[in-house]
Amino acid sequence: MVNCSFCGRKAVYVSKALGRAYCKKHFLEYFDKKVRRTIRKYKMFSEKETIIVAVSGGKDSLALLHYLVKLSKRVPGWTIKALLVDEGIKGYRETTIKDFLRVAEELSVEYRIVRFRDELGYSLDEIIEIGRRKKLPYHPCSYCGVFRRYLLNKAAREMGGTVIATAHNLDDVIQTYLMNIVKNSWEKIVRLGPVSGTAGHPRFIRKVKPFYEILEKESALYAVLNNLYPRFVECPYAQQSIRWHLRKYINKLEEMYPGTKYSMLRSLLRIIQLLEDKTNKIIEGEIRSCHICGEPASHDLCRACTYRLELEIMDENGNIIKNMDTGALGNQLSI
Amino acid sequence: MVRVKVKIIDTDQEWLVEVENGARIRDVLEKLDLNPEEYIVSRNGEVVAEDEEVGEDDLIILYPVVSGG
Ligand SMILES: [Zn+2]
Ligand SMILES: [Zn+2]
Repeated sequence: MVNCSFCGRKAVYVSKALGRAYCKKHFLEYFDKKVRRTIRKYKMFSEKETIIVAVSGGKDSLALLHYLVKLSKRVPGWTIKALLVDEGIKGYRETTIKDFLRVAEELSVEYRIVRFRDELGYSLDEIIEIGRRKKLPYHPCSYCGVFRRYLLNKAAREMGGTVIATAHNLDDVIQTYLMNIVKNSWEKIVRLGPVSGTAGHPRFIRKVKPFYEILEKESALYAVLNNLYPRFVECPYAQQSIRWHLRKYINKLEEMYPGTKYSMLRSLLRIIQLLEDKTNKIIEGEIRSCHICGEPASHDLCRACTYRLELEIMDENGNIIKNMDTGALGNQLSI
Repeated sequence: MVRVKVKIIDTDQEWLVEVENGARIRDVLEKLDLNPEEYIVSRNGEVVAEDEEVGEDDLIILYPVVSGG
C-alpha cells in the first residue's frame, strides 16, 4: 500500500516530482493551497470582482468553477458567473453542455451559454467546411480559438464581468509554449503568463489562469474526487493537432524524468521576464479598436472579423451573410 | 500470476491483463502501453495511486486525464 506522506492513510496521488504521496484529504489541501498561492502571487483578483468562469463542460473548467464557487464563499465581494461558448461541434459539445448544466445547477451558479450559430451565423463545423471549400490555410483549432476568445470577451463584458478566469493548467501552458517555440512566435510566448496584460482597451476584460501551476492530472483528480468528472468525450478535431502529439511526448518525458513539466514552466516564466521590457511596450502600444466591430484588435481589424471576411460569412459592415454553402452539413441541417 | 480487468471509463476499451505477483498498477498500464501520467486510476471503486499493488480479479477503471478544457 502507498501511504500519505502526512498522515499515513492510503494515498490517492503520488507526485514523483515533489517526492510526496497524498491521501484524499491531504491532496485536496495541497490543491487548495497551491491554487490560492497562485492567485495571491500573481494578484489575480481584488476584493471586489465579478468573476466570469469560462467553462466548456470539460473536467478542467468544471473543476475551476467548483473551486472558485467554494472559495468565493469566503470572499464577500466576489460574484461568480459561468460562461459557456458553444461552438457547435456535433457529437461533442451536446454531451459536455449536459455535464456543465448538471454542475452549474448543483452549485446554483448563474450562467450564460453563447452559441457560434447565434453570434456568427454558423457553427464551428460549418465554418470549418466553408474554410475547406475556400481552401483557407487555417486549422480547425485556429477558427475555434479565435472565435471563442472573441465571444468570451464580448459576452463576459455583457455579463458585467470584471475578470475572466480560464481553466488552463500547467500542461496546457507548456504545450502552447513549445508550439510557439516551434513556430518562432515569441510575441505569443510573452502573453502566456498567468495574467493577461491589462491592455488599456475599454472593451478588454482581463484574463487570469488560477490553475497555472496545477498539473492536468491534478485537475482531473480534483474533478474525480468531487464527482465532477464528465462523461469522457474527446474533441473530434483534437487528434489532428500538433498539441496532441506534444502532449504525448511531454507526458512520456515526465514519466521518465519527473519534474520536467515544472521545469518547463519555470523556463517559460523566465523567458517572459527576460522579454518583458522589450515586448510589453510593443504589445500595449498596438492595441486598437476593430474598424468593423469595435472589439480590441492589434491591427485595423480584429482576427475574428478578418476570418469572417475571408470566409465570406460577414460583409464589411459587420452583417452576417446567410446561406453560405456548407455542402453535406447544410443538407443535413435542412432535413 | 495475477489477473485483472482494466477498463477506460465511458468507452468500449476493456482488457484482461495477466501480471506477475506483486505487480503494481503502473506495470499493468505499461503492458497496455498506457502512460500513468494520462490516467486517474480507480481500483474496485476507489481512487488509488498507480504504485499500488494489484490483486487477483481487481477491476481497474481509468479516467483519462487528457480530455480537453
Ligand atoms: Zn493524508
Ligand atoms: Zn472585429
